[in-house]
Amino acid sequence: MTWLSAWWHLTWARGRWPQRAAALWLLLVLGAALLAPLGGYAVGADVDLTAASQGPSLAHWLGTDHLGRDVAWRLALACQAFVGPGLVAAVVAGVLGVLPAAVAGLVGGGVALGLRYLTAVVATLPRFVLVLLLLMIYGDSAPLLGAAIGLAYAPELSEAVYGRVEELRRADFLETSLAHGVSWWRLLFLHVLVGAAGGLVARHLLRAFAFTVVLESTLSYLGGFGVQEPWPSWGNMLVFEWGRGLGVAQIAPAAMLLFTVGACASVAGWAGGERHVR
Amino acid sequence: MSADDRLVLEGLQVQAGSRHLVRGVGLTVRGGEVVGLVGPSGSGKTLTARALLGLVDFAPGVVAADLTLTCEGRDHRPYDPLPTRRTEREHAFREVRGALLGYLPQDAPGSLDPAQRVGRPIEAVAARAGQPGDARVWLERAGFSADEAPVVLQRFPHQLSGGMAQRVAIALALARGSRFLVADEPTTGLDAAVQRQLVHTFRRLADEGLGVLIVTHDLRWLAQVAHHVHILDQGTIAETLSASALRPEHATTEVGRRLLGAVGRMRSRGFP
Repeated sequence: MTWLSAWWHLTWARGRWPQRAAALWLLLVLGAALLAPLGGYAVGADVDLTAASQGPSLAHWLGTDHLGRDVAWRLALACQAFVGPGLVAAVVAGVLGVLPAAVAGLVGGGVALGLRYLTAVVATLPRFVLVLLLLMIYGDSAPLLGAAIGLAYAPELSEAVYGRVEELRRADFLETSLAHGVSWWRLLFLHVLVGAAGGLVARHLLRAFAFTVVLESTLSYLGGFGVQEPWPSWGNMLVFEWGRGLGVAQIAPAAMLLFTVGACASVAGWAGGERHVR
Repeated sequence: MSADDRLVLEGLQVQAGSRHLVRGVGLTVRGGEVVGLVGPSGSGKTLTARALLGLVDFAPGVVAADLTLTCEGRDHRPYDPLPTRRTEREHAFREVRGALLGYLPQDAPGSLDPAQRVGRPIEAVAARAGQPGDARVWLERAGFSADEAPVVLQRFPHQLSGGMAQRVAIALALARGSRFLVADEPTTGLDAAVQRQLVHTFRRLADEGLGVLIVTHDLRWLAQVAHHVHILDQGTIAETLSASALRPEHATTEVGRRLLGAVGRMRSRGFP
């Protein structure tokens, strides 16, 4: 609870209203991903041509698409498409990118050299290409999409964490903690990763999540990968309404994408706020 | 802490590559004693202090040293055998750091964990050392009043002044149960009033039995708090004087006369 109290003071209490609104938006998206499937909306049996391309109403809050399907429900259900893979991506990127880099940053020497060589090799592949390759080789599924994105994002996170830890290795407060008898492992986990570098890690994991949102929407927009019709994804909702006039059914998924990615960026910047480490 | 506690350093040699930075330095600090270590810049003062804590981290670093910490009748000798790798050094100093030897670095605000309120590390350190876990106790021992301590322990390091951060750093060392304290330039960035407070704090801690080694350039301040002073020059101890004899006419070496003469000249321009 003390760490929570510290985080509260250093993040939420310092945030301005756009950042807090962005955080609430992300919580809303997460809530939609968890609760919308419980709402009983029948995907696949929701076609109603008599209600096609209607505007917002009490029955359909954001109107309907050209097949008469409720846009609001489908937007909410579409959150599942990237929340699951996004969380998997964050975990995979965290495991692959944070711990080895932190140890390398503290230990230095050959361990650091080896890790940096490995991350440089993986980083030469464009992330989108790497993800597509992995999906083509191992099949297209939500967990695999998340794992592939996590793997593709890990080098960037690894470099950031390594640089931060290597800088902190010489920080006075680490040396003082060592002089007071604190063990290296406790220093690494509590003081470096959670305390001093926690904001940096949170920022990058949020970016990985935002990347998942964009990538999943892109894959389902292009077709062949990602979520396929009749299951909704913001990407396939966009492409499905293409060329049918600029209505809510087309604007809404685009707006959701914009707000969600923007919210991730806003909260990422907020989470990575200054720690006054000299 | 007791007057029987003793820190004895003999034959310290520190090298950076082939350059000899510290050559055969030896000193003794007893429980309840304040010992000063002064000298021109680059004379090896901070290296000596860091060598006591096993914090010399370049190659080959400490090439010879005989360090004995005697507490409660038990001897601790972290340089026996001489560690040649960092892991060996960390293992050798594990028992000494914190439990016996505390550290007050030059940059006191920077030495505190920036992501925690200052009370938390004090409590954590005290709990690990089996000491009373109330941070207020240690903050008051470090010089905060009973009214100030509850306020200070809720603050983050960036919310503290230099003097407050210095006292929090002292509280951390005391909470660990250290028998000796190595203070590196403790008056850096502090105004005269806070420096005066620090004199009282160190004197009180020495009266309680803490052994203190102070590395500093501030001879005038050191004269108020130390029992005796070693003057270091080019990696060796040039001479040792008692604090009451810190005058150029008592110095027997050129470096001693130069250092003490500089303080004398400042005094003659009307500085207190």
